[in-house]
Amino acid sequence: MEKRGIYQRYLNRFGWLCVAPSIVLFCAFMLYPILSSLYYVTRRWKGMSNTFIGLGNFARMAKDNVFQNAIGHNFLFMFIQVPLMIFLALVLAVLLNQGIRRFRGPVRLAIFLPAITSLVVVSVLFRVLLQANGMLNNLLLEAHLISTPIGWLNDSGWAKVTIILAMTWRWTGYNMVFFLVGMQSIDTEIYEAAEVDGASKIRQFFRITMPLLAPVILFSAVTSTSGTMQLFDEPNILTWQGGPANATMTAALYIYRQAFFINADFGYATAMSYIVVLISGVFAIVQMRLLGDRRSK
Amino acid sequence: MSVVRNWSAGRIVSLLVLLLAVVVSVFPFLWMVVGMSLNPNDVLRGILVPGNELAQNWEKATRNYNLPLFFVNSLKIALLTVVLGLVVNGIAAYGFEKYPSKARDRVFGVLLLTMIIPQIALVIPMFRMFAFFQLLNTHAAIILPGIMSVFIIFFMRQNFKMFPTEIMEAARVDGAGEFHIFLRIVTPSMQATYASAAIYLFIGQWNAYLWPLITILSDKGKTLPIAMASMMNAYTIEYGALMVIVCISVLPVLVLFLTMQKQFVAGLLGSVK
Repeated sequence: MEKRGIYQRYLNRFGWLCVAPSIVLFCAFMLYPILSSLYYVTRRWKGMSNTFIGLGNFARMAKDNVFQNAIGHNFLFMFIQVPLMIFLALVLAVLLNQGIRRFRGPVRLAIFLPAITSLVVVSVLFRVLLQANGMLNNLLLEAHLISTPIGWLNDSGWAKVTIILAMTWRWTGYNMVFFLVGMQSIDTEIYEAAEVDGASKIRQFFRITMPLLAPVILFSAVTSTSGTMQLFDEPNILTWQGGPANATMTAALYIYRQAFFINADFGYATAMSYIVVLISGVFAIVQMRLLGDRRSK
Repeated sequence: MSVVRNWSAGRIVSLLVLLLAVVVSVFPFLWMVVGMSLNPNDVLRGILVPGNELAQNWEKATRNYNLPLFFVNSLKIALLTVVLGLVVNGIAAYGFEKYPSKARDRVFGVLLLTMIIPQIALVIPMFRMFAFFQLLNTHAAIILPGIMSVFIIFFMRQNFKMFPTEIMEAARVDGAGEFHIFLRIVTPSMQATYASAAIYLFIGQWNAYLWPLITILSDKGKTLPIAMASMMNAYTIEYGALMVIVCISVLPVLVLFLTMQKQFVAGLLGSVK
């Protein structure tokens, strides 16, 4: 008994040894930043010096239109782009799963291909394709769908569409693969039974596929919404620093610009990042709750 | 299984939708490959017929934009992150999974919790920290925070679950030390898991933008994403040379994807299982 205790303690110590390096790195690059942000958030930087201002940074946020609009843009992209993309990914997954049998592999590969590009590459490519005298405008002009070039990058409304287009191009195939894997793991016997009972294909989709796929769809929704809350590369490169005139400014980009570009106010930038964390956290909790409810039904 | 077997309207529509999706997905790739050989104006117009300026564009990309240096920088950072990341995360996942303890499970819970914190909330204190240690503008500043990944630990832990503990116990009876068991018995049978984790770590670092943008201040230290993004700031953009750099930056990921598709997708989907 005594010997076994010593051996267990030895194994336990080896367990700690295994996880130790990762915990050290976690403390340095996650825990310490989180804790030290508690200091930054209460301070205001002016040049090299900083002073304590308590919750003053949050009061400043309440009056900062650019920040409020930036959060609004994040929500706009979230509520338009995420459902649009999930819908497209679902449609493509269903068509690929049931519509064709030959070339299924190559087609899936082709549609997934955008997901291998980095957000920087996507932003660069779309910025070139969507120039006023660029490819897409040329195509639309030649097809007589438009009479004057669209200001994809210069018009405050179209610039938002541009961001949504780029994100949808990059992520639809990625999500489609998730859905395909989910669909293929559904037991075909369920469909056969439904067939015998005379359920139509459409009814089968809504009554069998959708409920069984719900966790996967939710997973996509969670990762995509947290992705849109962090939107940075696209507005910084594709629409050039959140332009035109802050029309595509996002929270992450504004925080970056406040801290490293405009006036090096680390305190104010940290306070704004707290809001982003808060929103991400609330979304994560809500979505997890939804998943829990679905499962218990 | 297929909904419609004949050439019905539904089938034609679904084929057209898929065809459109394929064209839209693949077109930018064709365009950027062809673009390497075009003059800037033809790149802009989206010409898909190869031109004859490949040599000039290549010359510009390597001379004016230092492509080889940026490529080597990116590669060095990504590979070092992969090697260190596999060592650190692999053994951590193994420790969390195969040496069960309540205390460590609680630590693991805290790690998972921090996954929802967006990077933008961490970069400001991290920037101050690296400035304090005078490590800004070094590649260490990019590599160090990229090594440990909660997602990778989570993913690898899921896979270590499948390794039978009985084999470990049999090895112990034979007198094998714990470290020996991990290195000689468990790790070799986990190659697919390590491959997925390596791909994930490589791509994450190869494509990283925000943190390198904050830490790299000199031209010499730039990575490919930073170089591409700063090219877009120029008054006149050399589109042909830009396409060369874009293609070179996409190529390693494309090769990884095409040669190791199974592990590539496993790395992406690991969290769903």
